[in-house]
Amino acid sequence: MGYVAVTAGEEIIERAADLFEKQRLAGDSEGLDVDQLDDQLGRLTAQAMSEGGLYAPRLAALAVKQAQGDTVEAAFLLRAYRSTLERFDETPAVDPSEMIATRRVSPAFKDVPGGQILGATKDYTQRLLDFDLVDGESADPTEDWDLADEGDPERLTTVTELLRSEGLLHEPDEPDVDDPTDTTRESVTHPPERDAVLQELARGETGAVTALGYSALRGYGQVHPTLAEVRVGRLPVRIEHPYTGDEVTVTHADVTESEAVVPVYEKREDPQFAFGYGLTFGRNERKAIGMTVLDASIQLDGDDEPAENAEFVLDTIDGMDSFGFIEHLKLPHYVTFQSILDRIRAIRERGGTAEAGRDDPADDESADRQPIAEASDND
Amino acid sequence: MVDPHDRSDRFELIAASEAATLARFANEVLEDDPPLSVRQEPRPQLLMQRVEEPVERRPFNLGEVLVTPAEVDLAGHRGFAMVPGKAERAALSGAIVDAAVAADHERTPAIVSALEDAAARQREQRQRAWAESKHTAVEFETMEDQQ
Repeated sequence: MGYVAVTAGEEIIERAADLFEKQRLAGDSEGLDVDQLDDQLGRLTAQAMSEGGLYAPRLAALAVKQAQGDTVEAAFLLRAYRSTLERFDETPAVDPSEMIATRRVSPAFKDVPGGQILGATKDYTQRLLDFDLVDGESADPTEDWDLADEGDPERLTTVTELLRSEGLLHEPDEPDVDDPTDTTRESVTHPPERDAVLQELARGETGAVTALGYSALRGYGQVHPTLAEVRVGRLPVRIEHPYTGDEVTVTHADVTESEAVVPVYEKREDPQFAFGYGLTFGRNERKAIGMTVLDASIQLDGDDEPAENAEFVLDTIDGMDSFGFIEHLKLPHYVTFQSILDRIRAIRERGGTAEAGRDDPADDESADRQPIAEASDND
Repeated sequence: MVDPHDRSDRFELIAASEAATLARFANEVLEDDPPLSVRQEPRPQLLMQRVEEPVERRPFNLGEVLVTPAEVDLAGHRGFAMVPGKAERAALSGAIVDAAVAADHERTPAIVSALEDAAARQREQRQRAWAESKHTAVEFETMEDQQ
């Protein structure tokens, strides 16, 4: 069989897309409102924003709706949208201790200053299906809370500050970077700077970040951290006002932050703590903690463990890259596959196995030895 | 205490205001057909949010935030606004409102009052959220007495 050029009508592609849209409208229920998604499925929209590297809650809700709940597809839509926009500016670097926290727990220090604030979570309850939700919404269970007047939100002392005050954490030199690497504008080179690592981890795919972080905990790495704290809250987004020159707040971005204490003191002359750090848009504690483990692992710069190899980690965690590469495999590869077929047939004919092999493929030892195809950038 | 007459404070209050409120005031300001030129069209743009990693105090790029800025000149007075998200109408209205207050337009008292309301509402929401969070603060009980 020779090479055959084929073409197919755009109309068929449009029909397939129409059928996809019909699925979203299937059933007798009301169509999902973007506001509903924004209000009620914050974890989904947060994941899309964090992996898309774009904080835009309402558009994230739209993207989730359009992608029918596929978070990576939604993140892709957000990245595609952002690629059409100009950048107004970079914000002044904000200190995360400015966060207006709605939740802060410290697994390391029971009596952390400011207290353990559980916030909105079901972490400490049983995971059981609530069948009452099937028939509608129950009333606001906090309606009758007798809230004390706590005044304005307090700035919570971070564990980093606590350790630094005790001399257990070194006072860093002035950072030698004013203008951190921006991986949305320049490719990551290896070994990467830590700022590039943090940016890539912050927009990594949640599942991949979780899985690779978990690999270190499962023994494929040396980092088994104690979490200093996990915080959920809002960080100010500021610009320099063009008229006054003052730093002014445009909005606040919901973020999740995690810090881990890593016991690698035996490797150092001065026994202080090493740290891992995680920060991501939206409420996504699993990802922030996974990022923390990976940040700490990458700082070890090992060759033997996957999580300590920055190149391996950064090459595999980006959802857009993995989504694109994995999903492109389902697109037509007729020419590629025809070439592979021709190659195998030629090899078999040269070896005289063309006829015999049809009866018993197990006899074809060469097929076991040689890879017949590899995904590549030229695919 | 925030002051809507202060340009920087006003910027933050406009950014926190409802789009419908800004649009209503902008329409009222434009009713007399004052000379208006749009210096910067309201178009969604990006701010790269930088954060300082707390251990090494090293800045890094967390990700971009979608905002919509706009700038106008209203009868010789400039106005600038930036609102979160994709919100062209709110941004343009906000810039007009900013310029109107700078020009001491006759609607200024009403605008200032609305911006003060926005500030109060924002503060109330923050205090409410903080009080709710504090309501979930753990009070550990030592178990020594039970041993």
